[in-house]
Amino acid sequence: MSDTLSIKRISASPSALIPLESLRSGGPVYSKLVDISKCIGCKGCEVACKEWNDLKVEQTSNFGSMQSHQDLSSNTWLLMRFNEVEDGDDLHWLIKKDACLHCEEPGCLFACPAPGAIVQYQNGIVDFNQENCIGCQYCVSGCPFDIPRFDKQTKTVAKCNMCIDRVEAGLEPACVKTCPTNAIEWGIKDDMLAQAEKKVETLRKRGYDHAAVYNPGGVGGTHMMYVVPHGDRLNDYSLPAHPVASPGPLRGLNVFQRIGSYLFGAGVISALAHFLAVGPESPEDHA
Amino acid sequence: MAKSFLRRFTYFERVVHWVVGVTFVLLLLTGLAFAYPSLFWLTTFLGGGSAARVLHPQIGAVFGVGLLLMFGLWVRDMFLDSQDRQWLGAIKHYAAHERDKVPPAGKYNAGQKLFFWVQSLLGIVFVASGLLLWFPEGFGPGLLNSMRLLHYLATLGGGLFLIVHVYLGTIAYPGTARGMIDGKVTPEWARLHHPRWTGERVER
Repeated sequence: MSDTLSIKRISASPSALIPLESLRSGGPVYSKLVDISKCIGCKGCEVACKEWNDLKVEQTSNFGSMQSHQDLSSNTWLLMRFNEVEDGDDLHWLIKKDACLHCEEPGCLFACPAPGAIVQYQNGIVDFNQENCIGCQYCVSGCPFDIPRFDKQTKTVAKCNMCIDRVEAGLEPACVKTCPTNAIEWGIKDDMLAQAEKKVETLRKRGYDHAAVYNPGGVGGTHMMYVVPHGDRLNDYSLPAHPVASPGPLRGLNVFQRIGSYLFGAGVISALAHFLAVGPESPEDHA
Repeated sequence: MAKSFLRRFTYFERVVHWVVGVTFVLLLLTGLAFAYPSLFWLTTFLGGGSAARVLHPQIGAVFGVGLLLMFGLWVRDMFLDSQDRQWLGAIKHYAAHERDKVPPAGKYNAGQKLFFWVQSLLGIVFVASGLLLWFPEGFGPGLLNSMRLLHYLATLGGGLFLIVHVYLGTIAYPGTARGMIDGKVTPEWARLHHPRWTGERVER
C-alpha cells in the first residue's frame, strides 16, 4: 500500500486559501484512530515516537502525575496526558494522546506566511518543513489544539509529522506499530470512521452512555480521531469541544490585504495623476 | 555674494528623521513580504525569511525609539491653531496650487500637523501589536490573530501616508527635500509654503 506524496495545499501559496471542496483529491486518505478506552498508559508510543524521529531526550521530573513530560516540546511530539478528574468519590483517569491531529482544514497552514513551510498531503498528513520555516510562530496561534512548539535554538517550529517517511513506504506510524493494546490504529480514514462508530456502540452497551467519536467538523475532520468514552466531558480530556480552523478568519485578513494592495497602488497612481495635472510648485512660479 | 538660507531642521532632527524613515522602509519591505506570499522574495533584502523574521522586530525597536524622539522634538509645534483649521477647509486650493486662496501656514501647515499626529498614533499601534507578535508565547490565538490584523491595518495607513509624504516632499514641491538633507531652505521657498514662519537665517 505504498503511496506517493501528492500535495494538497502549501502554506503561503494560492492553494492555501482554496476551499476544501474545490481542491483536487485522489489517492488513499489515512487516519489514526485512538481508542482511549483501550489505552493502558504504558507510554510505549512516546518512546517509539522519540526513537523513530530521532528526537532529543529531555530530562523529566516527577510532578505528581503519571505523565512523563509536563508539556509537548519541539523534541517531544507526542505526550500522553494523564488528566485526573474527581467526580464526587469517583476518580476518572482521562488519558489523551496529545499530538498533532492533522486537520483537514489546518489552522497552522492558513496562518503561515512562509511559502512551503507547511505542506498538506492528499493522504491527510500535515507536515512542517523546517528549512522553509522562518520562526514567526503564527502557526502556533493558528492551531486550535495548541500543538506546534517553537525551538529557541533552531528558531523553527516542530510537531508530529505522522511518521511521513514510514507512511510513504507503506508502513504505519511508529506509535501505531508499538501500541501493545491496539489502542492506536491506522488505516483508510473511512474504514477507521466505521470502526470508530462500532467501538462507540460497544462502549455504549458497556454503560458509557456518552461515548463518542472525536473528529471535529470545525476543522474539516482530523486524521487522528479519538474514541472518547466520556464524550460529554471533552474539556476534562483537554480536547476543545468546538475547535475551529478554516481559511475563514485569515481570509478576513486576506480581504483587508487585498483591499490594501489596491489602495497602495491607488496611492501611487493618485500622486502621479496629481503631478501630471498641476505639476510641481516652485517659488519661481510665484515670483 | 553668498546666498542666504533659512535653517529648517537641525542636524539632530535630520538624523532622527532618517532613522525613522530608513527603518520604516525596511519594515515595510519585510512586513509586506510577510503579508503577501507573492512578495515573500522581499525578505531577500534582509538576508532571507529567517533573517527577516529576526531583524524585523529589532529594526522595529529602533523605529519605535526614533519615533519617540521625533515626537519629543516636534510635538510643541504640532498643535492646530485657528488659521490651521481654515487651512484644512481650503485644502483643495492647496492641492490645486491656488495660493491666494490658502490661509498662510506657520512652520508646519495643518496637513503636516495631522500627518504628525496620525503617524504618532500609528506608531503606538505598531509597537504595541508588534511587541505581542515578537514575543507571542503565552498569548491566546484570538489575541495574536487580531494583533496581526491591527499591525497590518497600521501598515496600510502608514504606507499610504508615506506615499503622500514622499511625493509632496520631493517632486511636488521642489526645494522641500533639502530641508531634510542639509537642513536649509531658501527664503523664497519659506515665503511660499510657510509664510508665518520666521526661521533662523544662515549663510550658505
